[in-house]
Amino acid sequence: MTLDDLTKSSGEWLRGTGPESDIVMCSRIRLARNLADFPFSNRANRGEKTEIEAHFRSAIDQAGLELTYIDVNGLGLLDRKFLVERQIISRELSDGEGPRGVAISSLENIAIMVNEEDHLRVQFMLSGFRLPEVWDAVNQLDDRLEEHLAYAFSPQLGYLTACPTNVGTGIRVGVMLHLPGLVQTKQIDKVFRALQKINLAVRGLYGEGSQASGDFYQISNQQTLGKAEPELIKILTDVVPQVLQYERAARQTLLNERRQHLHDQVSRAYGVLKTAQTITSEETMLLLSSVRMGIYLSLIDDLSIATVNELFLQTQPFFLQKLRGTELGAEERNVARASYLRSRLSNGRQAPRN
Amino acid sequence: MRCQRCQKEATIHLTEPIKGQRREFHLCQNCARKAGLSLPESPPDLALDAVLQSLITAHVGELVGELAERACPDCGIRFMEFRAGGRLGCPQDYRVFAAGLIPLIQRYHGATRHVGKAARRREDAGRRLRLRTRLRAAIAREDYEEAARLRDQLRPKDHQT
Repeated sequence: MTLDDLTKSSGEWLRGTGPESDIVMCSRIRLARNLADFPFSNRANRGEKTEIEAHFRSAIDQAGLELTYIDVNGLGLLDRKFLVERQIISRELSDGEGPRGVAISSLENIAIMVNEEDHLRVQFMLSGFRLPEVWDAVNQLDDRLEEHLAYAFSPQLGYLTACPTNVGTGIRVGVMLHLPGLVQTKQIDKVFRALQKINLAVRGLYGEGSQASGDFYQISNQQTLGKAEPELIKILTDVVPQVLQYERAARQTLLNERRQHLHDQVSRAYGVLKTAQTITSEETMLLLSSVRMGIYLSLIDDLSIATVNELFLQTQPFFLQKLRGTELGAEERNVARASYLRSRLSNGRQAPRN
Repeated sequence: MRCQRCQKEATIHLTEPIKGQRREFHLCQNCARKAGLSLPESPPDLALDAVLQSLITAHVGELVGELAERACPDCGIRFMEFRAGGRLGCPQDYRVFAAGLIPLIQRYHGATRHVGKAARRREDAGRRLRLRTRLRAAIAREDYEEAARLRDQLRPKDHQT
């Protein structure tokens, strides 16, 4: 698998197949792990980072894990940003320096970052609301790696991490939610405040808080110490259904009270995406969000949810440039984006794939 | 620690390279503003780092002298540097800076004891970190015999992973 192959495929987590996938785009868990014999990444020199990378690569070989290792240090800016857009690597890894990389599985469920803030960030994700399944998978993956790696661990403090906010389990349990109903009925802030009160973090699609993130929000735990992993997961599996209930109620309110207006909004959004000749990323995200909600409310019936999910990522600046194989200015990107949208949305079918 | 200008409690700590030398500044909020330093104020819901930073400052601001200046024998980081950057230097720091870190951890996590998955015990875990520290020191004082000996010990034998 090469980076260019990635432009022709998409991650499993975008398929919209899991439970509650009308709202829960995906469930993911990442574990922060460090090797006991090395300074943390920010204090490790080039040689040490190279060694950490080598230890890890040999561990995945010995564990027989079928992962492709991407040497991020050897990538240009375009490719690195492309991986960030795809949610495979973090901004921190992309903007970092020195030997670093990511190992991914062909379905992109697994992404293990090397030499990020911690030596290893082991991530597993699945479409829909499936945290217990994700935990089983990432836990096993972690076990298989650990057979060949000596982790930094203390009986009192657990897994030792570069930042004390991750110490203990080193776990971040998260779900990515699509909440256009709560945004439109202006209840979203209320929900966020409630979540923050119980110590959950809320972030946008790419970790930022921007409105231009297509009404996607990631909710995750902050506390990592003092509770076992299943307990931390349970906080999310208890709370998320309530958020889902609010979102469904909000969508129902919109349908009941403003059906015509909502249908019009969704249809116009779809119409613009199908026919525009130039379109910004912000507008695209906004319109795709309406279309995505419209599909689940049966206001659009000729478009697959997987296509819409993919388009959220595939209309991002660096994907388009990767697809065209060249750098594009903002104006050129808007034209390329509109053209790509038209090709993917013509007849409402998925574009042919390799 | 006191503000360098007005002797109030210093809450802003900066390290700046000036003419190849690192200079440290310790200022209170007011003097920092007057000096034209813009203080980052991120929105509350995204301010994870800021929350940590304020916790570090709130707690460690009270600590003076010994702990602030203490350095980890393995990675060399000083507690001051952790306070400024928010990242530790190596796994040993949790032991070396326990006095400063445990209260911080208690406040952030509401706990100081790990519950949950445990890593398998490895007798020699961390040994190489120490050897590497000694190697760096040996090279620094140009003790090449010792350096060669340490390099030998660091060469993977049983540990071919």
